[in-house]
Amino acid sequence: MTSNQKRKEDLHVSNGGLKQSAWSKAISCKAVWEEKDEFLDVIYWFRQIIAIILGLIWGVVPLKGFLGLAIFCVINAGVLYVYFSSFQQVDEEEYGGTWELTKEGFMTSFALFLVVWIIFYTALHYE
Amino acid sequence: MTTMFADTILIVFISVCTALLAEGITWVLVYRTDKYKRLKAEVEKQSKKLEKKKETITESAGRQQKKKIERQEEKLKNNNRDLSMVRMKSMFAIGFCFTALMGMFNSIFDGRVVAKLPFLPLSYIQGLSHRNLLGEDYTDCSFIFLYILCTMSIRQNIQKMLGLAPSRAATKQAGGFLGPPPQAAKFS
Repeated sequence: MTSNQKRKEDLHVSNGGLKQSAWSKAISCKAVWEEKDEFLDVIYWFRQIIAIILGLIWGVVPLKGFLGLAIFCVINAGVLYVYFSSFQQVDEEEYGGTWELTKEGFMTSFALFLVVWIIFYTALHYE
Repeated sequence: MTTMFADTILIVFISVCTALLAEGITWVLVYRTDKYKRLKAEVEKQSKKLEKKKETITESAGRQQKKKIERQEEKLKNNNRDLSMVRMKSMFAIGFCFTALMGMFNSIFDGRVVAKLPFLPLSYIQGLSHRNLLGEDYTDCSFIFLYILCTMSIRQNIQKMLGLAPSRAATKQAGGFLGPPPQAAKFS
């Protein structure tokens, strides 16, 4: 690999995109995150992925009502908490505390979850 | 019933298109201009610098240090204000376009159940989720509710994917000055 290619691969795209090295760090245990924003973007995108998966499952089963909403919130917050506190073992204070990490991307993921849940529920149980 | 699911997918598609349209308009009017690029880079640099300084400052820091931070905060606030003014152009253009588009879509989907909600919305949300729909089944979903949900999820993700979202430091420092950045605007 040329040095230019390697540099491009290592670059973190500003303001939200993620490059290859960020994803490799995301799945490695206790990775070192030089840039706080990079780790926060990883948290953000993991939340969106969880929202799509849970929306799909909830729509297919189907899981309905407030219980579906509550379980989503618990799983979304819980899985990411385990990820950043046990798997990555980051210093939460560096990121403004557990709450800042918990709310990173939460509302967008909640809206995405609702959309996916509604789509699959409508398609499979009302068509 | 097939029509209802087709409506659901159509609304998601409309939301993606309007998000791309909004970003396209903003790119033409704002993002590609030198002034915006310069201001944005300046704001991000200053925000990160200020955040680092605030993290390292202690209780016993000298008056001079604190005054220096205040001056930097003031400078950053001014740059954020200028950045918001530059964005204002696109906000007006988008608002104008989307008022017309929403009027059109509202009349197209008026009275149509576009999806079934797998949950019963809270009573104060029902005004939106059951808007202009007949009957008392509040799991019927109206166009506007689904459109808003789609936009909340899709537009922010599109901005992040395209690298157009403002940085967190800049968003934090901008605080309540003109409210949240454009991605949370009325028709976005």
